[in-house]
Amino acid sequence: MTTIIETINEKVILGDDKGVTSCVERALAEGITASTILSSALIPPMSEVGRRFENGEYFVPEMLMAARAMKAGLKPLKPILAKSQIEPLGRVAIGTVKGDLHDIGKNLVAIMLEGSGLEVIDLGVDVSPAQFVNAVHSGIDIVALSTLLTTTMPQMKAVVETLAGAGLRDRVKVMVGGAPVTQAFAEEIGADAYGKDAGAATRLAKQFLGIP
Amino acid sequence: MNSRERVILALNHKETDRVPLDLGGSAVTGMHVSSVYLLRQALGLDEPGTPVKVVEPFQMLGEIKLDLIQVLGVDVAGINSLKTFFGYKNEGWKPWTTFDGTPVLVPEGFNTSPEQNGDVLQYPEGDKSAPASGRMPEGGWYFDAIIRQPPLDDNNLNVEDNLEEFGPVSEEELAHFGHEAKRLYEETDKAILANFGGTSFGDIALVPATALKYPKGIRDVEEWYISTSARREHVYKIFERQCEIALENLAKIYEVLGNRVTAVLVTGTDFGAQNGLFISPRSYRELFKPFHVRVNNWIHENTQWKSFIHTCGSVWVLLPDLIDAGFDIFNPVQTSAAHMNLSELKQEFGRQLTFWGGGVDTQHVLPFGTPDEVCQDVRERFRIFGPGGGFVFNTIHNVQAGIPAENLLALYETVKECRDYPMQ
Repeated sequence: MTTIIETINEKVILGDDKGVTSCVERALAEGITASTILSSALIPPMSEVGRRFENGEYFVPEMLMAARAMKAGLKPLKPILAKSQIEPLGRVAIGTVKGDLHDIGKNLVAIMLEGSGLEVIDLGVDVSPAQFVNAVHSGIDIVALSTLLTTTMPQMKAVVETLAGAGLRDRVKVMVGGAPVTQAFAEEIGADAYGKDAGAATRLAKQFLGIP
Repeated sequence: MNSRERVILALNHKETDRVPLDLGGSAVTGMHVSSVYLLRQALGLDEPGTPVKVVEPFQMLGEIKLDLIQVLGVDVAGINSLKTFFGYKNEGWKPWTTFDGTPVLVPEGFNTSPEQNGDVLQYPEGDKSAPASGRMPEGGWYFDAIIRQPPLDDNNLNVEDNLEEFGPVSEEELAHFGHEAKRLYEETDKAILANFGGTSFGDIALVPATALKYPKGIRDVEEWYISTSARREHVYKIFERQCEIALENLAKIYEVLGNRVTAVLVTGTDFGAQNGLFISPRSYRELFKPFHVRVNNWIHENTQWKSFIHTCGSVWVLLPDLIDAGFDIFNPVQTSAAHMNLSELKQEFGRQLTFWGGGVDTQHVLPFGTPDEVCQDVRERFRIFGPGGGFVFNTIHNVQAGIPAENLLALYETVKECRDYPMQ
């Protein structure tokens, strides 16, 4: 017999946001705790979604639908989790760098990171180095930078340099990603890692934080 | 041999006297206005401070004037719709300055407002009383669409809401196409690349409808991608109706200009991202391919036009389907994307598709390499793509802003040096 947890797993993978919402509400009503729903019903299927994306079984529409379903499931849990003051496994500040307004890839990474149990501070798009530094001041483990444009790649270096200038470089890991970004570029600008896609970025973040 | 003959032979996979060159033939084979300015200055074509016209105000592409065409040996001229991405015409030029200080001329309808943070907004039809439809971030080089998504009711979706911009071709537009085709055909020797509009199904650049004041339907980019899966039947019906309108329009357009046009840019929908496809091959086959087949069949049965597809990204796995759908020309040949190896592309698909693009890596080498690295990259591409024809040189998509002048010079000097047949 399929449990409610397994049903939620399946509905996240299939991108059924309405189904996830109603099942999460049912699970809460049945007395399953919010943290159990998060860790057993919502987080594991996002790993599967990431795996399918990396393997070329899932594409952008399927990822977006799964992300939407997962977000829908998180919504009723968030106020409960906030009250219970459960510490997230880590905190990530993510944003598309200054001069760039593209965000689909960044949004997918954000939801995958959130789906791994991390707290994600999404700074949005067109984010200046100073804004990233401010986020680090508020207690961040990882800074994740995204860009689609070759013309704004230098902004990633600017963030790394600004963090160094503020004496914060050693406090955080810096991850970079986006269409024109490469491993070589990440090394050149002194970033700690390059994430090829949302799945890879999530794996790297978990490695940095020692999360299995 | 003139330019037109050169391009036609190349499109028929024959070697000619030299590889044809496109720069400015379309909104995906152009150059950012800042780079046009730099290039014109570097070639001594203008006095410093001479403004360049912005002929495509969304990507901020610069005019490729006749003197530059002649100096570079460009073989292609373009015909585009009367109205730009923002729904106004390219007329009534007025001065403007880009964030990087380039002096430009913009159309009369290019009306902007500054935001508090320094961003610049643009408006549909240049009408500032309507909500802004484009944003250039402070210090930026292009506009991005502002998403204006009205609330969606899944029980009340209306196909016509996503078709407002795809109506019957107007008499004014028909006259424009006819006039331009006649002028370019009779007054130049260039091959003509035309973008009539209407056949780019699901083009994400067009979904937000920057030219419409109050767009209805599905206009959000993420919502559109989701709709290709979750609302597939609805999207299919949109494409079905769009295709009917497009074929009626193409018939009228053919009546006014016949076979003066060499190639038609049918679709600019990107099916590839950097590392793989945007949508599954199955989605392409079920949702897009039927309409590509219909349009290409009409083109090949009724005209001598060649059919041109623009799709960025890693699309290796889709190329057999694109050939099967009837496309003759593939652009921009993004070899910097995953699994897009130059030699493999030429070997596998080079006899069936003309590679219109692929001439230099615009993500890494052209912006960040040395002039020497640019030369080497361009030489390699002539060596691999040139033999057997089926190659029209263009950069991989528009030349972006921020390219060093010496790299632009190295690019076109190497083109001049390497384009003669037989390939060295």
